[in-house]
Amino acid sequence: MKRRDFVGRMGGWAAGAWLGRLPIRPSAHPPVIPSLLVPMDDAQTDHLKAYGLTYKAIQAGLKAEWLLNYRGGSFLIPDLDALRRDAALNGIRTEPVDSAMTTVRGEIEASNMDAVPLEKAPKVAVYAPPNAAPWDDAVTMALQYAGIPFTKIWDPEVMNGSLKDYDWLHLHHEDFTGQYSKFFLIYSGMSWLAEMVQRNSDTAKRLGFQTVPDLKKAVARSIHSYVGNGGFLFAMCTATETIDLALAAHNVDIAATFADGTPLDPDADAKLDWSQAFAFTGGHIETNPLVASFSDIDGHQVNGGARRQPLGAFKLFNFSAKIDPVPTMLVQNHRQVIPDFYGLTTSFNRNRLKPGVTILAEEEGAPWVKYVHGDLGKGTWTFFGGHDPEDPQHQIGDPATDLSLHPHSPGYRLILNNVLFPAAKKRELKT
Amino acid sequence: MSRSIRLALGLIVALPALARAQAIGPGFELERSGRYVDAASVYFTTIRSDPTNIPALLGLERTLFVLSRMSELLPLVQNARARQPESPALRSLELRVYAALNEPDSLEAIARRWAASAPQSEAPYREWGLALADRRMWDEARRAFLVGRRALGGDGTLAIELAELEQRVGNWDASATEWGRAVTRLPDVEPNAASQLADAPAPMHDRVARALTAPGASVRARRLASEVLLTWGQPNEAWAAMEPTLAPADTEAPTALRRFVDLAGALTTRDGHRVRGLALARWADMMPGSTGGRARAEAVRELLDGGDKAAARRVLEAHADSNGIAQAALIHLLIADNQLDIAEERLSAPATAITADDRATLRLALARARVGRGELDRAAAALGDDSSVAAIAQRGWIELYRGNLKNAMEAFRLAGPYALDRAAATDRTAMMALLQRIQQESSPDLGAALLTLARGDSVAAIAALRRAAARLPEQGGRLEVLLIAGQVAAQKGGDQELTATALFDEVVRTGGEGAAPPAAELEWARLLVRTGRAAEAIPHLEHLILTYPNSAFVPEARRVLERAKGAIPKS
Repeated sequence: MKRRDFVGRMGGWAAGAWLGRLPIRPSAHPPVIPSLLVPMDDAQTDHLKAYGLTYKAIQAGLKAEWLLNYRGGSFLIPDLDALRRDAALNGIRTEPVDSAMTTVRGEIEASNMDAVPLEKAPKVAVYAPPNAAPWDDAVTMALQYAGIPFTKIWDPEVMNGSLKDYDWLHLHHEDFTGQYSKFFLIYSGMSWLAEMVQRNSDTAKRLGFQTVPDLKKAVARSIHSYVGNGGFLFAMCTATETIDLALAAHNVDIAATFADGTPLDPDADAKLDWSQAFAFTGGHIETNPLVASFSDIDGHQVNGGARRQPLGAFKLFNFSAKIDPVPTMLVQNHRQVIPDFYGLTTSFNRNRLKPGVTILAEEEGAPWVKYVHGDLGKGTWTFFGGHDPEDPQHQIGDPATDLSLHPHSPGYRLILNNVLFPAAKKRELKT
Repeated sequence: MSRSIRLALGLIVALPALARAQAIGPGFELERSGRYVDAASVYFTTIRSDPTNIPALLGLERTLFVLSRMSELLPLVQNARARQPESPALRSLELRVYAALNEPDSLEAIARRWAASAPQSEAPYREWGLALADRRMWDEARRAFLVGRRALGGDGTLAIELAELEQRVGNWDASATEWGRAVTRLPDVEPNAASQLADAPAPMHDRVARALTAPGASVRARRLASEVLLTWGQPNEAWAAMEPTLAPADTEAPTALRRFVDLAGALTTRDGHRVRGLALARWADMMPGSTGGRARAEAVRELLDGGDKAAARRVLEAHADSNGIAQAALIHLLIADNQLDIAEERLSAPATAITADDRATLRLALARARVGRGELDRAAAALGDDSSVAAIAQRGWIELYRGNLKNAMEAFRLAGPYALDRAAATDRTAMMALLQRIQQESSPDLGAALLTLARGDSVAAIAALRRAAARLPEQGGRLEVLLIAGQVAAQKGGDQELTATALFDEVVRTGGEGAAPPAAELEWARLLVRTGRAAEAIPHLEHLILTYPNSAFVPEARRVLERAKGAIPKS
């Protein structure tokens, strides 16, 4: 569901095996039934799976509500046996509410809180190569753990126009400059790198591009159009910085010789067209092919030698729930201060952000921010720096994070906020 | 210009020269608040009255760089340097300014002029190279350092700078070679070198190690290699780098070995323990008296943990005559080798130097080993009149295997929850939970079955446990004993998996209030997942979670359920 389609989308029961277990049949006018509150404060026993429970409810065509800023951003779902069973199996705390809801709604009305209807489960696409990379992908893990279905797509699907079939697109560790995360020289000889190079080169050739950087630029432009036409984009780690570099470099070579056979343009910095980018402006390219860093957009420069900055903690902004529901949804959490974590792109320097970008989280006193959001055309994009919220220094080859050991992860909650917020019914914003 | 700045400038002009040198505080404050233009004004004013004021010149270097006005700094620095030509700080600053202005030829000329005035100093070349490196002009920086090395002579000259430069550009093997030169010249550099090289990415490890251990590498370079290899978790390679440096041992060898031992202590692998034991044994030989003795005993323990009994025995036999620690370690080794009679004989010898604590520990180990052979009476005799909680706990097991359930329970209670290590305490607690369900005071069948299990005969133990269970009431311990039999069968695998399934099925179908039904269902599901039948495991896990929501097994059941569904990665 695109943003333009929000208004008036109600009901529409989704078919599926899970629905078959529901004790009632869906109809255009569902009967009034009691509700279950899914608290999202410290009382919750599995914060991450709570998103999956809510997703399943709306996927089945049931009506749910997101109670912004109420007990950590709780959810309200129908009190049905199937949902109770699902909650019990997954260790999710739910609280039956009936007459108490009147009091809750009164509190919401009187405070910086709001109740946002959630109506249709977004169709989720994850942009990832078909093979397994030697690093984990936080969003894929979060979706799998929460039980939210998604489809993996890659360059061929993007280039043949399949993006229009999805409401929400996620990018993670991808390098849209086409330089294989600049691991080409550092990790030369490693089998996973050889496979990555081969796969990308073959795909570029098959799709009619001379080089991998050319292909990735075209993919970046397709994603840009997708957002402009109403799609929701969420990017983490390298994807945030490199997609903007690829967009800004539509007419200039910013790829090292190893990637496209030609040296990068010595005047690349001056030729970058930042008007094409989502979030950033004025960045300077990292020209050393041996340094796995792309530009000075990233504040932490984890592979930048002496430029590397230590990790701190980032703080979520507190928005007005009734006036700014979208940023409010994106920062719902039971923690306001969250330990930082590295990625090839960890953070975003403030002086590289375009005017108008909404800062959702920052490290106080630091020159960088962590989590940003903005609109483009009819769609929106959200960028979250860092690789894995529960593995602050994820190394190549490290085992994937086991989220069952981190069911309360506040960092992963931010990812899942992004998955659910496209499900919210659009209302006229007051700003 | 604000009133406060005018006031600050007025103060600076009014103060005498010495105070002026310290009166650039307002400039710092302005700089910190991001008001670079105002800060530069403060520094310029200071320089006008005190042209060689280095803090003010450095302030200008910082602020003018941000403002892209570095060209304004050059005449000021040249003027200051002309007034104080011997000042290294001003010389360095001048080089950095030329580098910032991207004038490499002038930079080189200035550096060479400085070098000519200080022919024995590394400083001109160091500052020249660093100024270029700060501008990321790597090749030019390398050339500057090498020019310095050639001019001053000496293989290790400017090696630290070159090592750091190579590291910054990702040339890890070249960096290692330079660090090798640096430690050869200056041993104090070694910890820094090891710390820097430890950051090399995994694909570069072999190349770094080869660079440090190449033929002709110095002793210090090889020892550096050993330390770095330990940091990377490669104990065997580390020892291969270290050992040749010990023959003959030089004066630095004890310190180097001790450091090696300490670093190896962080490794928990068998090879890590073995290599640490080898190093400790060599270090012990270099230490006098009791220090050496303690180290030797520790070496033996490490060698045993590393599975190298032959090396442990060699160490002990060379020193066991007079040393109680070594004697105790040797008896431990004999028990581990199942030479129980010889161990008992040595332990009973009247004139040994073994301490009372060590003697108690050895008696306990001997008793356990006797149990392992089924020699319950000799096991009890080995414990003697020891009244420690560990010995009481061991007596509990002996009573259990004799079938005296009541005595076993009392002994376990008396031993309490903290005797011995956590695993032993957990085993005792699990057994107490089983005994609590059984109302009988005695069950020779169950005792014999558990002894069979303790001796490692799993197949016979399963049959014996089933027989013992059949004689117990359904809600009086039968299910718990069947569960143990099922767990053993599941662990055994192969043909026993069918037996395990039948046993778990029986326990689950019988149900009841005890912990056995949910535990059996969890074990059943685990077995199904392990044998590739995850889909069949899911209904069992869901049944467990929904039927026994308050069971302690529910959190683990949820984890297994997630795995069965593929929602979390295997760990």
